[in-house]
Amino acid sequence: MDSPLDSVALFHIGPVAITQAILTTWAIMAVLVLGAYLLSRNLVLMPSKRQAALELIVSTIDIQIRETTGAEPAPYRGFIGTLFLFILVANWSSLLPGVEPPTATLETDAALAVLVFLSVIWFGVRGTGWGGYFRSFAAPNPVMIPLNMMESITRVFSMFVRLFGNVMSGVFVIGIVASLAGLLVPIPLMALDLLTGLVQAYIFAVLAMVFISATVEDGRPETADADPSTPSREMER
Amino acid sequence: MTIDFWGLGLQAINFLILVWLLTRVFWRPVAAAIVARQTAARSLLNEGKSLQAKADAALAEVAEIRAGMAAEREALLAKAATEAETATKAVLAEARDKADKLIAAAELARKRDAEAARAREAARSAELAVDIARRLLDRLPREEVQAAFLDLLVKALTEMKPQDRAALQGAREGIELVGPTDLEAAEQARIAKAVQTALGGPAKLRFVTEPELIAGFELRTSHFVLHNSWQADLDAILKELKHAA
Repeated sequence: MDSPLDSVALFHIGPVAITQAILTTWAIMAVLVLGAYLLSRNLVLMPSKRQAALELIVSTIDIQIRETTGAEPAPYRGFIGTLFLFILVANWSSLLPGVEPPTATLETDAALAVLVFLSVIWFGVRGTGWGGYFRSFAAPNPVMIPLNMMESITRVFSMFVRLFGNVMSGVFVIGIVASLAGLLVPIPLMALDLLTGLVQAYIFAVLAMVFISATVEDGRPETADADPSTPSREMER
Repeated sequence: MTIDFWGLGLQAINFLILVWLLTRVFWRPVAAAIVARQTAARSLLNEGKSLQAKADAALAEVAEIRAGMAAEREALLAKAATEAETATKAVLAEARDKADKLIAAAELARKRDAEAARAREAARSAELAVDIARRLLDRLPREEVQAAFLDLLVKALTEMKPQDRAALQGAREGIELVGPTDLEAAEQARIAKAVQTALGGPAKLRFVTEPELIAGFELRTSHFVLHNSWQADLDAILKELKHAA
């Protein structure tokens, strides 16, 4: 068995090595985009069951964003919702025989973590300006600036490691058990892996939302800082 | 453990493309559908509230109209009762007037009938008296009766005032001496002599026959009548009888 920490290149496009994780990512992208396109056609005022299910997904994500940030979900819906859906489908893709989830590789998880890190900057600057974004590092006081700068990197790194560790370990354990105990024994572990994949997708998306909202809130002027809606510290611990 | 940064970057690009695509084909359309339904539901709710308000207003208006109709009905009933009472009083008054007029007319007719009956009775009495007198006269000798009436005529002329007697004697158109029967010439001469004697001188006499006198002689000029007949006596008696009735 190959090390789960290594990615085997299937072929190269220029300097880019195309691994199975990338191929699987493309497949997931195709499935998600094509499925979303097919399902979201012909949306009407009186919804069908299909449309009601789609609206339930969107409404649930909107509720989570609104409860986490207290702000309107529209600016964050695309990024956070796609983050959740992609990680969830990627995690659950391990159920397909011969498919290794992209989130079980370092590159994918690191890419998502980097994007979360950049999205924190993007939404922070867009919400409060560059001054507000930099002011968010001085919360609750300037003494915390080094720690907050360190934290902005470590918290993303921890997300990346958490997701990678959970998914990779699940795949690894199932592989070991399947190689040792045959066909039916890994099923309970795969069911557990479904739950783990859902929880990890949820945690990753919610943490990304918390980081963004914390940056936006901390970057606002002090006079408007009457609402201590910064659960980021709590969530991180 | 190594990280393929080319792979990392490619995965990041893949995810960003996925975000862009899903935002276009999934998140925005579905969110727009939710907002559209919320807007439609809000519009329907507002429309429902508006319609309910209109319905409440219409209901209140109907209730007001119904109350107005009840009041108008009461007013019309009261007006009709008043008009009926007035009409009844008018009809009663008119009937009473008509009855009074009928009673008065009946009373007048009764009096007129009574008067007519009394007149008829008086006329019948007069006729009866005349008839009685004529029958009595028929039993008496006419010459003696006429002689008695001539005596009464002479006596009346004698008792007249001298100037009246002279005026009667001097009547220019003459004196009519009226009797019930035609007289013979000798008798006319005897009567004319007696009258002229009573008048105290000659007078122009002209004999006229009127059977209605029954008996007696009367003198008539254009300004003077001396009644001296049974007919005149009976008329006097009849007049007295009428006065007595």
